[in-house]
Amino acid sequence: MSRFIFKCLTVWLTALWLLVPAYGETPGENPEYDCRVERYRSGWNCLVPRYVKLQTGGLMGSVSVGTGWNYGRDHWETDLILGVIPKYSDDHARLSFTLKQNYYPWKVQLGQSPFSVEPLSCSFFVNMIMDRDYWVSQFDKYPNGYYWFSTRVRLNMGLGQRWTLRIPEPRRKFHRSISFYYEFSTCDMYVTSAVTNRYLSFWDILRLSLGIKFQIL
Amino acid sequence: MNRSLGRFLNGLCRGAASIVLLGAAVSCNLLEGSPYDARVTGETDVNTRNIARIEHALSGKTSFRFAFISDTQRWYDETEAFVNHLNGRDDVDFVLHGGDVSDFGVTEEFLWQRDILGELRVPYVVLLGNHDVLGNGVRVYRRVFGEENFSFMAGDVKFICLNTNALEFDYSDPIPDFNFIKTQLNDENPIYRRTIYAMHVAPGDEQFNNNVADIFHYYVRSSRGILCALYGHGHAFVEADKFGDGILYYETPCIGKRFYLMFTVNEEGYTYEPVYF
Repeated sequence: MSRFIFKCLTVWLTALWLLVPAYGETPGENPEYDCRVERYRSGWNCLVPRYVKLQTGGLMGSVSVGTGWNYGRDHWETDLILGVIPKYSDDHARLSFTLKQNYYPWKVQLGQSPFSVEPLSCSFFVNMIMDRDYWVSQFDKYPNGYYWFSTRVRLNMGLGQRWTLRIPEPRRKFHRSISFYYEFSTCDMYVTSAVTNRYLSFWDILRLSLGIKFQIL
Repeated sequence: MNRSLGRFLNGLCRGAASIVLLGAAVSCNLLEGSPYDARVTGETDVNTRNIARIEHALSGKTSFRFAFISDTQRWYDETEAFVNHLNGRDDVDFVLHGGDVSDFGVTEEFLWQRDILGELRVPYVVLLGNHDVLGNGVRVYRRVFGEENFSFMAGDVKFICLNTNALEFDYSDPIPDFNFIKTQLNDENPIYRRTIYAMHVAPGDEQFNNNVADIFHYYVRSSRGILCALYGHGHAFVEADKFGDGILYYETPCIGKRFYLMFTVNEEGYTYEPVYF
């Protein structure tokens, strides 16, 4: 895995070394070349994360920091979230990584005010615990099919709401808008447990996340 | 003036309400960071407390009765039905659980099972199962139930309860722990006359360290007044003379089968009966 990351980094750095000298040059007499460079730049610009999120709970770490991209008329959002799982009764704290896809079907502007509401958010996210004690598929030491599930990867779903305050342009320092959101979510293991047992109610498997989003771009 | 004061008070009330709600959310684990967060709320060290109850209630006795259940993972309804069934009987002294309270090793599973079994009128003890070790389960088990190797006296019978899930620990921990067994066998308590072994996985299973299966059974055989050995894991009822020397190993089925073994120990030895509920 680490060798793969190393290879990717090498390829990326080589590509940058070959292509980046173009950066910073003034427009010359070769418009085709300028056009290509501009395309190249705007291509990379798309990859600049557009916001930062701070949140708590929701099976993405007790405290977590996220970044990502909004697109498709702001109906869609893809988050990368790094969360901390505190030690509690374990012998060490752990980190978790989450890849999250959000969809906001509606955005309601509240009159002339700078406030808007997204009355529904739907999300699907994959969460991984970054620790060697957890597996994606069972360790080789076990006989075939000994454990059918992954302890490392969780599949989750959530529904929530979001309120956004748009900062008027003259008063902007670093952010375009600030949003507050909450989301109720659950994971595959909880659903698996609840569907076969009356003992577990809907509320037993529901988890909450609260967060703030700072929109930069 | 009054209006602004009203607004202020309104805001204050709302703020206080949100803080109370947030506090409630945190305390009932609503804001959970991970299913494997190892955040244990409620009762801890269940085995220690229940062992004290068993030892106190059966002190000086040579006959008693216990229910042997195992593998209750993800069978919450059946476990609850068992608890209700057992609470309807008044001829049982304690419940022995052969391990696997959790299926995925997820923290909440230990707490859900503890809460169900906690409704039992009689004390219960829980052994460590292989599923209980997954992820950080063993650390949660230790916090909720206690050490994975433990023993207790029920009248004149010593129950030696062992972690036998060797495969889960990569053979890096001594499993079964012979030092622990030796210490138990060297117990000079004059009340200790007979022995029952309990474990999650029996010798011969792929989870057991079978390289030492014979040596393990040698210790079992040489235990003071050995009665029998109990285990779970296989989800079925089995009675087997595994080593051909008359010492019987009993496997109790998973609770999903709505079936458990009731053991009666008396002066002469022991008897057992399967009970459906």
